[in-house]
Amino acid sequence: MNEIELIQGLKDGDETSFKCLVDAYQGRVFNTAFGIVQNAEDAEDVAQEVFIQVYRSIHTFKGESKLSTWLYRIATTRALDLLRSRKSKKRFGFMQRLFGDNNEPIHELPDFNHPGVAMDRKENAAKLFKAIAQLPENQKMAFTLHKLEELSYQEISEIMQTTVPAVESLMHRAKQNLRKILEKEID
Amino acid sequence: MNNDRNKKIEEILGSLDNVQKAAVPDFFYTRLKVRMEKELVPVTKKSLLLRPAFALSALAAVLIINAFVIFKGDTGKSNISNNDAETIQSLAAEYRLNDNINLYDINQDK
Repeated sequence: MNEIELIQGLKDGDETSFKCLVDAYQGRVFNTAFGIVQNAEDAEDVAQEVFIQVYRSIHTFKGESKLSTWLYRIATTRALDLLRSRKSKKRFGFMQRLFGDNNEPIHELPDFNHPGVAMDRKENAAKLFKAIAQLPENQKMAFTLHKLEELSYQEISEIMQTTVPAVESLMHRAKQNLRKILEKEID
Repeated sequence: MNNDRNKKIEEILGSLDNVQKAAVPDFFYTRLKVRMEKELVPVTKKSLLLRPAFALSALAAVLIINAFVIFKGDTGKSNISNNDAETIQSLAAEYRLNDNINLYDINQDK
């Protein structure tokens, strides 16, 4: 089934087409979310939301970009939304602690160990993921898509709806910021 | 010292090179379908009720019906009460009920 047939099948509400879509893209969607939210359960949650959104809004897909670009865009947006809600929950938890409503300690996520990283690099990768989590959203998005999904700057620029030089600049700033964060970590 | 630090940072930055893809959790599609069955069907039913246009129309309809009942009820009540009074009076006159009352007036006996 080619992409045009797949999209038509989805628009017709064909379940086989939907299963084909999930089979073809679940890995990319899950891994993108996984790199950003740095937690397997949350990444699965995000991946499910992505496919539900595609099912709901396939009629709005005009085919101006590739289906994969559209899916990556939804996945990154959803993953960043989850990070934002996680942050606001954390802030709310902190306020609750300040005002004495809840004396439980704020839950911090443990170090993230990506299962795809070689054993001898696990420690360094955990440090890098911790640093990536501190990057601004657009730098985090560009860096994750490039490093984990191995997408080209051209593909990233299409997903982020920007230009290739803008992505290059984002990557440059992301690396600079990561260096600064890691320098502090090492000192 | 600085060289060691830079080398360490480069090692960390390069730790994600050639990283393998993480496996998608087992039964992902099954769980997705279950979630879709739960979320998609009730949403369409709920969404009609939760749409502002529907909610406002329903509220306006309730207010109009209330206003209609109140005003119509008041005028209706006064009409009915006038009719009732006339009917009672005519019945009383026809059966001379007023006279009967006088017959059994206790004070009159005294």
